[in-house]
Amino acid sequence: MRTMGEHKLSFDDVAVGDEAPVLTHKLTRTDLVKYAGASGDFNPMHHDEPAARAAGQPSVFGHGMFSMGLLGTALTDYVGIGNLTRFSVRFARQTWPDEVLSSKIVVTARREEGGRKLVDLAVTLANAEGEQKVVGEATAELPGPG
Amino acid sequence: MADGAAAQVELLKGVIGKSTGTSKVVIERGPVEHFASAVRSTSPIYHDPAAASAAGFDSIPTPPTWPFVMEFSGKFAEMQSGDAPSPHPLSTVLGPLLAGGGLLLHGEQEFIYHRPIVVGDVLIGEGSIIDAYQKESKGKTMTFMVSEMNWKDEKTGEPVATVRNNLIVRA
Repeated sequence: MRTMGEHKLSFDDVAVGDEAPVLTHKLTRTDLVKYAGASGDFNPMHHDEPAARAAGQPSVFGHGMFSMGLLGTALTDYVGIGNLTRFSVRFARQTWPDEVLSSKIVVTARREEGGRKLVDLAVTLANAEGEQKVVGEATAELPGPG
Repeated sequence: MADGAAAQVELLKGVIGKSTGTSKVVIERGPVEHFASAVRSTSPIYHDPAAASAAGFDSIPTPPTWPFVMEFSGKFAEMQSGDAPSPHPLSTVLGPLLAGGGLLLHGEQEFIYHRPIVVGDVLIGEGSIIDAYQKESKGKTMTFMVSEMNWKDEKTGEPVATVRNNLIVRA
């Protein structure tokens, strides 16, 4: 049995084409260290500048899962915590310190399935130049009216 | 060369369907709080039991990508069944490629949620390799390994989350 999560958005208030508020963040090395410590991903490419340069990278770069995590935060800020039924992405490009990353979340479908009210969303994270870093989709189950 | 390629195809076919073992995790409040902050959530629901309760949760819930990292802080050694295969099918395939200087990439990541994961949950995950294949791209060989982990509630046996990832080694 599924328990309903945080009530932020009602199914009846959503239309195809709606966009979620944009989450924007300038990536810092501190973000990467913090994410490494919280996730256990200590790949030196994400925190050790000399090691990253020795491997031919211009600098340390972001964890793909930090980018997906940021998109996850943008998603739950919009649909409410605990309401996602699916979240799937492809990692397209590396992210670099000082890049300004912005989420884009668009409602692509609104459907009812076995009494469940579902919305499908297209999600991307891109830098200020519009280069897409992470591209994917998500589905959320929303409460109806009342 | 052709023989090597054929052997590689056989090696990949041989790991499809193989178990990657069982994992038992406990969801604790401190790690969830740090993780929520690391993915830049400002929601009080991840920090304050009263806020979680007001939002309809029995306990503090976890961020969407939490299932990817929950083994890091909640998989205690004495709770494990010790059924991890040796050698691990991922390292059977990817180990030699990485040792030869291949670059490991995270290609895709998917989560399917059957119910929210909350602090206090004890979950059992069963992992397997669901696909393994190679493609040639720009003179490089891309080896793809798709793994799946199915998490269920230890108490009720009900499904909680399915986590799939596609790792790529470019060599």
